[in-house]
Amino acid sequence: MKLNELTITEARSKLDAGEITSEQLAKSCLDEIENLNPSLNAYLEVYAADAMAAARLADERMSRGERLGVLDGIPLALKDNMLDQDRHITSGSKILEKHVAAYDGTAVRKLKEQGAVILGRTNMDEFAMGSSTEFSAYGPTKNPRDLERVPGGSSGGSAAAVAANLCLGAFGSDTGGSIRQPAALCGCVGLKPTYGRVSRYGLMAMASSLDQIGPFAKSVEDAALMLQAIQGADPQDQTTSEEKPFAPAWRENLSDVRIGLPRQAWGQGMHPEIKASVMQAIKQMEQLGAQVKDVDLPYADEALAAYYVIMPCEVSANLARFDGMRYGLREKGLALFETYARTRAHGFGSEARRRILLGTYALSRGYYDAYYLQAKRVQTLIKRAYEAAFRDVDVLITPTAPNPAFRLGEKTTDPLTMYLEDVFTVGANVSGLPAISVPCGLVENLPVGMHMIGPAFGEADLLAAARVYEESKP
Amino acid sequence: MALSRQEVKQMADLARLELSEDELAAAEQDLDKVLGYVERLQKVDTQGVEPAAMPARTEWREDVALPCDEAAREIIISNFPARQGDLLKTPGVFENPKGGKA
Repeated sequence: MKLNELTITEARSKLDAGEITSEQLAKSCLDEIENLNPSLNAYLEVYAADAMAAARLADERMSRGERLGVLDGIPLALKDNMLDQDRHITSGSKILEKHVAAYDGTAVRKLKEQGAVILGRTNMDEFAMGSSTEFSAYGPTKNPRDLERVPGGSSGGSAAAVAANLCLGAFGSDTGGSIRQPAALCGCVGLKPTYGRVSRYGLMAMASSLDQIGPFAKSVEDAALMLQAIQGADPQDQTTSEEKPFAPAWRENLSDVRIGLPRQAWGQGMHPEIKASVMQAIKQMEQLGAQVKDVDLPYADEALAAYYVIMPCEVSANLARFDGMRYGLREKGLALFETYARTRAHGFGSEARRRILLGTYALSRGYYDAYYLQAKRVQTLIKRAYEAAFRDVDVLITPTAPNPAFRLGEKTTDPLTMYLEDVFTVGANVSGLPAISVPCGLVENLPVGMHMIGPAFGEADLLAAARVYEESKP
Repeated sequence: MALSRQEVKQMADLARLELSEDELAAAEQDLDKVLGYVERLQKVDTQGVEPAAMPARTEWREDVALPCDEAAREIIISNFPARQGDLLKTPGVFENPKGGKA
């Protein structure tokens, strides 16, 4: 087995036993990046020399018997919207083509303090808006399973990097499914933590009330380690929670675990073989002791609609800062209004412009009550519906995405078809709940993800259930 | 509900996006589709329902000036699109403030 194919857990025990070095691990990832990245475009930039230097430092620490953390010496990748001081960062946008991150985001700082080796930054849909990575200003990422197909998005680069073993794990951000959907389409584990679990300080904001950083991993156990490394309350992010930190609580089987299948979600259109594949996984969980029942979870359609009002409203406000004044692109030699308007028209791609217009409209005088306020009221009803469902069950399961990885260009012309990709994932963002996508099979040789949602701050039980399933797979 | 071209143009102005006629036409179509989809929210009975609040700690932190990391300061300045020394240069705000858009 090549070293880049190891899980973090496996690599950790080999490093601790002195069987391998961090330098060998990093080298093996960098070699694979050199082989595959030209065709995949998973990384936008690779820090080869710095990664090797960081790995050597980790090895020196190990030889002195020191270890900064579980991730010390582990090669990882970061999505291109996570600030890493003194490195280029673009959020997949032309408007930030030459931008340099001025400081470390909290999650990035924690990773560095724990000795993680950062390999590079990964491709994404512009400002995290998209479900295919085709809206990156730097070309699409390809699905490692089939280069004609998309890896999902918006964190498609991180998903492809993990699936193709171009790193041991990667981080992304999830606003409506941007970790879980690409994880499903590429065949790796993707976790969106509870809103407030991980600091958003230094994550470029898309929709601040929904954004959350989380891991892409080769196993549920690795995802747990990665979440532990970045979680926690942060004075720099007022929305981080003082809840007890997540700690894994693994279990042997699924006895007493109550699984709910939301009727309204399962009634949505989905590829019949995706349905069969996830149902098969649920049957397997039943054999492992879980009780399975249908549950009511109203507002399945409305959750997507509420998302496509609330999110663009926040996008239009958050992207107002890109005005050509303090950083990023500036079209020169124009009067003030034209400087703003031309800079933004040239700097933003089509999807960013579309969502800015949509948000501007929904927030404008005369429409605010009908769109934004109504969506926020429906959001309250959606949160209540999840709370009610979790009085009867411990975990809710659906497919992660309604279809397997689609072809490049298949959904770029009609925005609504792309938006429908998020139908199973947005609920967890709108309600702030933790959710994970776990690989559960193949359809036409393309990966299928099973989507599991847990109650707020219930990551320990959610991941424990996911891991029992994962370990039972043939 | 359908948007008029005039409304789309107005949104583009509010959002400071200079769009061509073709781009406005495309935006009109796209927005109509999405607004058509989200229309279903109007059918939900939300009488007496409070809008969802963002979970956040409500205590305020001390209002104190913190020193700026020197490396961060250097990078922030080097990111300026135009500068004079350490100062940010912008187009004139008071000369022709609305440009050609009187």
